[in-house]
Amino acid sequence: MIAQQIINAVSLGGVYALLALGLAIVFSIVGLINFAHGELMTLSGYALLACLVFGLPFPLAVLVAVSCGALAAVAMERVAFRPMRGASVTSLLLTSFAVSSLLKVVFQNGISARPQAVAMPGWMTGAFSFGDFTIGVGPSISIVVSALALIALELFLRRTVTGTAMRAAAEDFNVVRLMGIPASRIIATAFLLSGLLAGLAAMLWVAQRASVDPLMGFTPVLKAFIAAVVGGLGSLPGAVAGGFLLGIIEVLLQATLPGAVAPYRDAIVLSGVIAVLLIRPQGLIPAVRAQRS
Amino acid sequence: MLSVEALKIRYGEVEAVRRVDLAVDSGEIIALVGANGAGKSSTLSAIAGLVPAASGKVIFDGADITGLAPEAIARKGVALVPEGRRIFASLTVADNLRLGGAVHLTPPEARAREEEMLELFPILRRYHRAKGGNLSGGEQQMLAIARALMSKPRMVLLDEPSLGLAPQLIDTVFDLIAELRRTGLTILLVEQNVALALEIADRAVVLANGEVVLSGTAKELASSDLVRQAYLGA
Repeated sequence: MIAQQIINAVSLGGVYALLALGLAIVFSIVGLINFAHGELMTLSGYALLACLVFGLPFPLAVLVAVSCGALAAVAMERVAFRPMRGASVTSLLLTSFAVSSLLKVVFQNGISARPQAVAMPGWMTGAFSFGDFTIGVGPSISIVVSALALIALELFLRRTVTGTAMRAAAEDFNVVRLMGIPASRIIATAFLLSGLLAGLAAMLWVAQRASVDPLMGFTPVLKAFIAAVVGGLGSLPGAVAGGFLLGIIEVLLQATLPGAVAPYRDAIVLSGVIAVLLIRPQGLIPAVRAQRS
Repeated sequence: MLSVEALKIRYGEVEAVRRVDLAVDSGEIIALVGANGAGKSSTLSAIAGLVPAASGKVIFDGADITGLAPEAIARKGVALVPEGRRIFASLTVADNLRLGGAVHLTPPEARAREEEMLELFPILRRYHRAKGGNLSGGEQQMLAIARALMSKPRMVLLDEPSLGLAPQLIDTVFDLIAELRRTGLTILLVEQNVALALEIADRAVVLANGEVVLSGTAKELASSDLVRQAYLGA
């Protein structure tokens, strides 16, 4: 029972971490808090549904769905955010709200306001047991996928020139441009990565629920936003730490709170967030940022 | 090689630069001197494309580069070493250097160039794996210059390389600038320390309140009454 709860906690934390990382990457480079991040998730969910309805094999369907999330993120930047480049944080925030609302309406009117069932393969809902422990296949896959995604991202940021340029751009974007590295390439890569992570998170989210609805992305991205702020907005290690922390606390509270107090779970979690921010206003692992002119 | 014609720069209502004309020939060091707020750094930033020109032109190698993005100007072979060094503090010295040559050189060329830079700046070899933010001010200035040189630029814009450095380090940095000129590099140097700038430059341009008030060879300026009284304290 305890082992199962720990697996659930880490698995939920992993999804929050992937989403929080996506928010943090974009924020660290363009200073935008992308509230339309959840809609990238939803879009990937619908893409998976469509691929499965058209009879694509499951692995291929996942690949197409995740790519859809990544491409949609790049398209979002081109259409909505690029014309706003250099605008204030507030204008960017409002733009992302507009994109988010627009996409939600498109999903509701174009597809359906009701949840659509996604036929996940049967083995994903199974479980395997070691002696007394029973562990769900879904949460285990979720942990493995999150871990691999985090490692791949870390390698990309450390080992490639573009990744190094992105870390530099988070510190001082103009100086990166002085090195001859195009601003558009850095920004497009940031959105591509955030969309990729949102797509992966969507797959893990849908795997646990086997349905997609227009508001699917809202709750997890709200949580991811909290995780990113707790970790230190714009800090990538902070986003991962915040995501896991939030996921683990949520599941542990769920498992341990007595029935009468259980409805106050989110209130308790958010009080914890306030406490953390009172003690460390810059978050757990603050972002490094040089002067900006 | 570079000419700036009737450059004007505005930040909102404030005119930071009213009118600057200057020309830099190939292989020269031109010093742009003047008091704080005279418009020196703004002029360099406009040449590098970091701030827009309100009017006027910047011509490099016969091509109009006014209004181009900073990355496009960098690709033409103009490298700016910004004021305050602005090295990437969280990146290693090696990564700082690598980014300097990232788009200009092929990987083998970049490795060879990095080796040249480490020969020129032995201190950077010693701290190769250290984070840029852990270096001292003088070391960071060396890194900022080396990072700009990684791209094998044809012209370097140096913004206040002596700022915040101890006197001995200032000498080291200026010896280095003199050595760079011997390699044929064209340099536009902005400097508040007028005496030092005139020692090293071929020609100089004096700015005051966003306008050119005097220009000539470094020797002429060093002996001019205006410069002696206003900047050299003689």
